[in-house]
Amino acid sequence: MDLLEQILPLVQKPARYTGGEWNIVRKDWAKADIKVAFAFPDVYEVGMSHLGLQILYHVVNSRSDALMERVFAPWPDMEEKMREHGLPLFALESYRPVRDFDVIAFTLQYEMCYSNVLNMLDLAGIPLRSNLRGEEHPLVIAGGPCAFNPEPLADFIDLFVIGEGEEAIEDFLDSYREAKSRNLARKDFLTEAARVPGVYVPSLYRVEYRADGEISKVEPVLEGVPEVVEKRVVRDLDKVPFPTRPVVPSTQIVHDRIMIEVLRGCTRGCRFCQAGMIYRPVREKKPATVLRQAAELVRQTGYDEISLTSLSTSDYTPVRSVITALIKEHAGCGVGVSLPSLRVDNFSMELAKEVQKVRRSSITLAPEAGTQRLRDVINKGVTEEDLMAATEVAFREGWQAVKLYFMIGLPTETNEDLDGIIRLAREVLAGGKKAGARRGRLRVTVSVSSFVPKAHTPFQWEPQLPLAVLKERQAYLAAGLRERGLVFNYHDTAVSFMEAVFARGDRRLGAVLENAFHLGCKFDGWSENFYFEKWLEAFRQAGLEPGWYAYRRYEYNRVLPWEHIRSGLSKQYLMLEHQRALAGETTDDCRTGACSGCGLCPGLEVEPDYAGGEGDAQLPDAVQ
Amino acid sequence: MTPSYRMQYSKKGPARYISHLDLLRSFERAGRRAGLPLAFSQGFNPHPKISFAAPLGVGTAGEAEYADIELTADLPVGEVFRALSGVLPEGLRLLEVRSIPDQSTSLMAAVDCATYRALANLSRPFGRKELDSAISSFMARPEIWAERKLKTGGKKKQNIRPGIFTLSGKSENDIIILEAELKAGSNGNVRFEEVLEALMETVDLPLKSGFVLSRTGVFTRFGEEKKALWQDY
Repeated sequence: MDLLEQILPLVQKPARYTGGEWNIVRKDWAKADIKVAFAFPDVYEVGMSHLGLQILYHVVNSRSDALMERVFAPWPDMEEKMREHGLPLFALESYRPVRDFDVIAFTLQYEMCYSNVLNMLDLAGIPLRSNLRGEEHPLVIAGGPCAFNPEPLADFIDLFVIGEGEEAIEDFLDSYREAKSRNLARKDFLTEAARVPGVYVPSLYRVEYRADGEISKVEPVLEGVPEVVEKRVVRDLDKVPFPTRPVVPSTQIVHDRIMIEVLRGCTRGCRFCQAGMIYRPVREKKPATVLRQAAELVRQTGYDEISLTSLSTSDYTPVRSVITALIKEHAGCGVGVSLPSLRVDNFSMELAKEVQKVRRSSITLAPEAGTQRLRDVINKGVTEEDLMAATEVAFREGWQAVKLYFMIGLPTETNEDLDGIIRLAREVLAGGKKAGARRGRLRVTVSVSSFVPKAHTPFQWEPQLPLAVLKERQAYLAAGLRERGLVFNYHDTAVSFMEAVFARGDRRLGAVLENAFHLGCKFDGWSENFYFEKWLEAFRQAGLEPGWYAYRRYEYNRVLPWEHIRSGLSKQYLMLEHQRALAGETTDDCRTGACSGCGLCPGLEVEPDYAGGEGDAQLPDAVQ
Repeated sequence: MTPSYRMQYSKKGPARYISHLDLLRSFERAGRRAGLPLAFSQGFNPHPKISFAAPLGVGTAGEAEYADIELTADLPVGEVFRALSGVLPEGLRLLEVRSIPDQSTSLMAAVDCATYRALANLSRPFGRKELDSAISSFMARPEIWAERKLKTGGKKKQNIRPGIFTLSGKSENDIIILEAELKAGSNGNVRFEEVLEALMETVDLPLKSGFVLSRTGVFTRFGEEKKALWQDY
C-alpha cells in the first residue's frame, strides 16, 4: 500500500490531494521533453479557482513536446504528515515528486503567499536559494501580478515572466527545449532566456545601494541582458487559447463555476488599483466567441453557473445582449449566469436583476471611500447618488443584504472621510427600511480594508499609515457603525502592514522571507495561520526595519526597487496622476473621455480592442 | 411523476475521497455533461433529484453503491447508462442502470444492512486461531459501546453490538482481512470504523498500516434473507 493512501485518512479534506478530477490531463511522462509543474502557493480550493491556472494548463498540455501537472500548498495538517512520513511534495496528475520535473512554475497572486512558495520548495526537497540549485534541480519560475515587483523573491526564483502568460510561456518553453537539445548548462540557459521578451532573470542584475539604504542603480551584469524588462501583452482575446475543457474539481472550491473571461484590462483608472494599471489596455472578447466558449464549457464541465469574469464586467460593451443570449440558451437546463464584479450604478443593478432570477444572495458594491472629495482623490468615478440609486434598486428588487467595500488609510484621508463611511452605511440601511426590506433580514455589511501602496500605481510613492493609526480608525468606524442591521468587518492591520512591506520591497527582503520560513510562517493569508510576532522576529534577525518599507514616502527622483520592470505606463503619467490625486482632480476613462496619456499604447504598440457594435454598456456620466 | 432510474456504481481510487455532498454535485455535473434531462426540485434553490441509498464515509471505497435519479423525459435505460458511463470522474464507475416504478419505496428507506471489508498490512504473520478466538470472544460480548459525536458538540455512548450481524477475519502472511455485515440505514447505522476500533482494544494486532476500508454491498432484508436493492420491486 502506498504512502499517500496511508496518510489521506488522517487529514482534513483529503480530496485536495487525490487528483483524478474530470478533464484532468495525464500525458505520457516519457514522451514529454519538458515537464512543468504548475505550483499554486495556496490551498487546493483557492488555487483551483484561479482561471490563469486553467489557461496555462491548457496551453502547455496542448503542446506535443510538453506536459503540465498541478501542485498546491498542502494544508498544515497534511504537511505535518508528509514530513513525518518523508513524502515529498508531489503533483496531482502522476503523483510524481515535484523535484522530478524540469520546471516548477509558481503563480504569485498576493504577497502573503511568499512564505508558502519557500515552504513548497522545501517540501519538494529543492534548495530555497537559486544560487544553491544545480543541474539536477528543476528550474523555478514565477509569474502573476506580484511578479511586477519580483524583488523580494529575487533570491529564490530563477526566472520571472512579467505580464500575460499564455504567449510568453510558449516562447519560454521553445527556448527551454532548444537549450535542452544543446545540453546547455543551467546558467547559460538563463542568460539566453533573459533575452526572451517579458523574461526577467534576477541573478543577472546587480543592485547598488546608497549610504541611506535607498537604491542607487539596478543594472545587468552581462552584456546582452536587457536593462529593462517589458511586460508581455496579448493582442487579441479572440485568438488566444482559452480552455473549454477545464479541470472540474470533485470537491467544492471557492469559485465553483464556469469562468469565462470577457475582457481583460480596465480603463477606469482607480489610482490605488494595481490590476487596473498593469493589465492595460482593455481588450474585449467578441460575443460570438463568448457564446461558443460558454456552450462548450457547459457541455464539457456540467457546471450550473457561468460567471462572466473580468476586472469590471459591467463595462463589457455587449454585456447585456451576451447575458440575454446566455440565459436564453442555458437556463432551460438549470444553468445560470453570474457577474463577479459590479459597478456602483443603476445599469449594473439592472444587469444583476437579470442574472439573479434563479439565485439570490447579497449584492456587493465598492464605493471605496466615504466622501466625494476622497473618491475624487482615488479617481473612483462613483457618486453618492449612484450608490443610493443602486441600492434602492437592489432593495426594491428583493435583495435584503448589501455589502459595501471601503478602504481606510487612503492618501489625504481625514476623520470627515471616516464619518462619510458611517453616514453612507446608515443611509443605505435607511433606504432598505424605506423600501420595505424585512427588519430581521435587512443587513448592510461594511467591509473595510486598509490601503496598501502597490508598485506601478500612482500611489506607489505613498506611505502606508502606521498600524496603530489604522487600528484607531477601525475602532472609530466600529463605534460609529453600531446599529441593528449594520455589520462591520475589517482586515487585520498587521497583515496589511506586511503586504505593504513586500509590495514595495527590494531584494534585501529575501533574508526576511527565509527567516520567516525557518520560523514556521506559512499560509499567512489565512488569519488563523498568521503570526505577526514571527514576522517581526524574521525582520529583527535580518537587521531590517519593516516600517522603513511601509511607512516611508518614496521620492520621485529615487530608483524604485521595480524600476527595471516595465508595465508600459510611463513614469510621467504615474507622477502626474499622483499629483492630480493630491489636488483632488479626476481623470477621464479613456474609453469615453480623452486619452489620459498613460503611454501604454504607443510604448507597447497595442491598442484598446472593443467588441464593437453600438454597445449596451451605458457609459457613466459620473466622471467629468 | 417523472421517470426514475436506479443506478448501481462503484466508488474507488481517488473517488473514495469524494464526500457525500460533493458526490451529489459530481453526479449532477456528470448528468449535465451526459446531456440528460435532469429533474429539479421546485423552490428558491432548485437541486437535482438525485438520492443515495446510504452515505459512505470519506475514504471508504464502495463496490456496489446505489443512487436514484429522476429525469424529465423517459429514456431507455441503455441510453442513460451509455450517456452517464462516459462522463464520470476517475474512480466512479457505473455498473448497472434500471428503470424503477413510480410507487417504489424510497431508496434510503429500503436499506437495512451493508457488508464491509477492511485490509491492513501486518509487520509479522498473525495466527489464524488467535484471530478466530479474538473475534469469537468479541462477538460473544452482550454489549459493545462506541462513542459518538453529537451534532450539538457533545458525545454519546451507544451499544453497537446488536448492529453487528457477522464478523470474520483471515490473515495471510503480512496481510489481514476483516469482513463484516452491519446494520445500515435510517433505523440505525453502525460504522465499520467503530467496530474495528472496539475490536483493536481487545486484540493486539501487529498492524504496520491503517485499515483500508471498502463497503462491498448494501442490502435490504426480507425476513432472514438479505437482498440487493434491485429486489425491492
